[in-house]
Amino acid sequence: MATLPAAERPRARAAGPRRHDSAGPLAYALLAAVVLASVFPLYWTFVVASHSDNSVLGGSTPSLVPGGHLLENIGRVFDTVDFWKALGNSFTVAGTTAVSNVLLSSLAGYAFAKLRFPGRNALLVVVITTVMVPTQLGIIPLYLLVTDLGLYGKLSALIVPSLVSAIGVFWMRQAMEENVPDELIEAARMDGAGQLRTFWYVAWPGVRSVAAVLGMFTFMFAWNDYFWPLIALPPENGTVQIALNQLAAGYYTDYTLMLAGVVVSVVPVLVLFAVLARRIVSGVMAGAVKG
Amino acid sequence: MGSSHARRSAATAAALATLLALSGCASGSVESDGKITLTVATFSDFGYKPLIKEYEKAHPDIVVKERISQLDQHHNSLSTQLSSGSGAADVVAIEEGYLPKFRTVQDKFVNLAASGGLKRKDEYLPYKWAQGTTDGGKFVMGYGTDVGGLAICYRKDLFRRAGLPTDREAVGRLWPTWDAYFKAGDTFRTKVKDHAWFDSAGNVFSAMMNQTEYGFFDADDSYIADENPDVKRSFSASADAAADGMSANLVPFSQQWNAGIKQGRMATITCPAWMTGLIQTAAGKEGEGKWDIASVPGGGGNWGGSFLTVPKQGRHTKEAADLAAFLTSADSEKKIFQGPTGSLPSLTGALSDPAVQNTRQKYFDDAPTGKIFAASAQGLKPSYRGTKDQQVRIPFANALQLVEQRKSSPAQAWQKALSDAAKNLKH
Amino acid sequence: MAVHTAGAQRTLESEAPPGRRARRRPTRQSRVTPYTFIAPFFVVFGLFGLYPLLYTLWVSLHRWDRLTGDGGFTGLANFRDLFADPDFYNATYNTFSIYLLSTVPQLLLALAVAWLLDRRLRARTTWRALVLVPQYVSVVAVALVFSQLFGRDFGVVNWVLEQLGLISAPVDWTADTWSSHLAISFMVMWRWTGYNALIYLAAMQAVPRDLYESAMVDGAGRLLTFRRITLPAIRPTLLFTVVISTIGGLQLFAEPLLFDSQANAEGGTEHQFQTLTLMLYKYGFINNDAGYASAVSWVLFLVIAAVAALNFYLTRRLGGSDR
Repeated sequence: MATLPAAERPRARAAGPRRHDSAGPLAYALLAAVVLASVFPLYWTFVVASHSDNSVLGGSTPSLVPGGHLLENIGRVFDTVDFWKALGNSFTVAGTTAVSNVLLSSLAGYAFAKLRFPGRNALLVVVITTVMVPTQLGIIPLYLLVTDLGLYGKLSALIVPSLVSAIGVFWMRQAMEENVPDELIEAARMDGAGQLRTFWYVAWPGVRSVAAVLGMFTFMFAWNDYFWPLIALPPENGTVQIALNQLAAGYYTDYTLMLAGVVVSVVPVLVLFAVLARRIVSGVMAGAVKG
Repeated sequence: MGSSHARRSAATAAALATLLALSGCASGSVESDGKITLTVATFSDFGYKPLIKEYEKAHPDIVVKERISQLDQHHNSLSTQLSSGSGAADVVAIEEGYLPKFRTVQDKFVNLAASGGLKRKDEYLPYKWAQGTTDGGKFVMGYGTDVGGLAICYRKDLFRRAGLPTDREAVGRLWPTWDAYFKAGDTFRTKVKDHAWFDSAGNVFSAMMNQTEYGFFDADDSYIADENPDVKRSFSASADAAADGMSANLVPFSQQWNAGIKQGRMATITCPAWMTGLIQTAAGKEGEGKWDIASVPGGGGNWGGSFLTVPKQGRHTKEAADLAAFLTSADSEKKIFQGPTGSLPSLTGALSDPAVQNTRQKYFDDAPTGKIFAASAQGLKPSYRGTKDQQVRIPFANALQLVEQRKSSPAQAWQKALSDAAKNLKH
Repeated sequence: MAVHTAGAQRTLESEAPPGRRARRRPTRQSRVTPYTFIAPFFVVFGLFGLYPLLYTLWVSLHRWDRLTGDGGFTGLANFRDLFADPDFYNATYNTFSIYLLSTVPQLLLALAVAWLLDRRLRARTTWRALVLVPQYVSVVAVALVFSQLFGRDFGVVNWVLEQLGLISAPVDWTADTWSSHLAISFMVMWRWTGYNALIYLAAMQAVPRDLYESAMVDGAGRLLTFRRITLPAIRPTLLFTVVISTIGGLQLFAEPLLFDSQANAEGGTEHQFQTLTLMLYKYGFINNDAGYASAVSWVLFLVIAAVAALNFYLTRRLGGSDR
């Protein structure tokens, strides 16, 4: 099993969509159905979020036409929970863990792939076996530990335990093996470059795209995590996921408020996504694993 | 080129360090302008917004923030915060059913007696004060906020269709006991087929249980639900009624429950004072004048009501204690009762205040809610709560839902409730 | 590969600092460097991965209340109770049922979507981007939205099914095992299908074109080509997605928790959609019995390790022919 950025392999580019294989009407229709299924729940969310609370309660036919209360409901979202803070927290946590995962995994991956040192293989086996260990399962002691360290309620309680992951190290090691020839490293060393310089100027350029994918993965994972923030953060210093859940709480479940919150949480990501669509799509595709 | 790379990496490292530093610092409760920020954590809206404004105006050096969560999550995260020693709000509401559990860790709370709390003893309904204190009344753990004096909210228009009386006095006389209440339900169901008699068997069960002196636990905190005839009786009565189709099968406080109220799918709802606010919000304008309030079967009872506590871990416990006292003062409780949430005061002074006594709710056909609820609050005996009350409650509510979902007979559901409750007691 | 090599070479030539060309002897520093590079991982994993896992075992052997702390050694009592608890087997069943119901159709559908995308399309990037949209909706948002869509009384799903005449009375999706598992699996599927489709698409596009051309010459139809050429070629990718979905699928939390409007981790009236992670949360953070919850963690850990090992074995066996 090996990891390679597909888009950068000359072979991959040549393969591309095959000439004789242009899509017929049926393919377009099926794809349209898939896209409709992907987008409809979001559209419906937007519709409900744009109605006044009482008007959507108990209608016999679901409304499919937007109403005029979207801004009002969004305003109520920001009144009910500190959504800015939640967004900021989520960006801080996801951004920091993504950057640190990329850096620390690349360094470790580089060491495992390109440096010789006693115990390397044994340590690598440790890394590989821990890939499969879901650290979430130690959640109770993790909670006790974070509490003892005085990190409860702080964003560092989310960041520090996930600064670097086994899968990241393993992944970057594979990338280093595949994409950075030993001769280059050797040449750099002959030139007197230090380990860090060699890493940065020789190894890093070769794995940058894989690292970007790892960063994106890590960002999304941290952004979406719910279990650990629910335990480690008090509601008023939560992430977006916690803030969303706050909207669904209360004796009185206000449907439109909740779904307006969903709109607020999705829109920034979707806008970012629309701007970066091309990059992200190729990024995800580059993350594919090939034999 | 090289230097730009180096600069970039340095910048990344610096950004990382800054982020770590930023995330590392605690959210301070003293703002840069020297103001003290106090957080008040409640579950559901306690109607504190106008009071907070008032308090901030009188105390320009204090900023008050509200944090509202869902009932169970609120208490779960309070457990977390108490055990981890940080993160709790300065003033935290605890619901009466949860209070016994937190009494076991009372050392994590400020004894409000230190800030003159003992003086307030005579202001309170005696049982409310007793619930909020420990150590023979020397440790004041929390100031009572409201009590949930029980009543029944009912739909007049549906009662008329069923040929039942609609006048609130006559309706109260219709059901002196719960048996009479269920009998009236039978009559109702034969005449009005497309509406249920009540919203949820769980709510009826809760109301009945809240009228017993001892429910799931005995005074020494031993579990007695399996042998207490009151529990069995309350469970069977509500389960049988559900099996007869009297329930609208709505999970209390869910979205479906809201919609069910708006659509008027049930004729009655067991109605502690705080419920009136929820009904108004859910039923909306169209429901105005259709609802009314009558006395509850089986005499008075209390459902819900909370206490404001001050966890020791806060940085400004003195200021927090003052705020808690303000939010539970007679004047505040009176204003809350007259506000949209309609929560009933727990202070005798506020309850007998003419302004409270004379309160009528236009929405409920001008019902004299002040008189109805104040009477139910003053006449009731509190139901004893064990430390694991909440944990035990859930299996019984689940079992009743099973009957409503037609997945089990009342007898099977009872067995299931008992075995699940035993499990929850053990772990 | 050539591209990288050249790029790196260029970087090296232009950026290696002049004047430090002397051959370096291995220094103390260079012997230590590899360890400093890998140290962060081992420190973080040791402190926040391994230590908690071992500590979990310790806690599971105790009566341990989250509020009041260690209440004494109880040996294997927690495990004994757990293995005697029908809820545990129920939760295990639910975990696997939801995992299979969400993963198998999801990956098959993703494969189909990738197959559709793997041809000359107008507005290619737009199609790909649209398929990926659900990935950008957070788990909690998905759970909240779909819980409403699957609402009993006025959910859109019931409404559509009624319009189509498929059901006569509204389905109470949370009430039964099959319906709740279906609804929760649907949430997972919705969110991940497009993502997996793009990963498959990437793998498909890397399949050498001449393989297809020779198949075309042989007159093989599109489906046959897909089965004979595409599928075997992307097998490692398939296995990669299986492994990733397994780790996620066995630990579902937000979806089953929020599918219940009471969000009390009961997983329905009869625990019909209580997964092992929900059970862990219930005992650890609602009932505050850290000891029992730790026992659940350890069993869940062993379950995941076993499934991961199985995956590993399958990877080696199925992937073996490529080497």
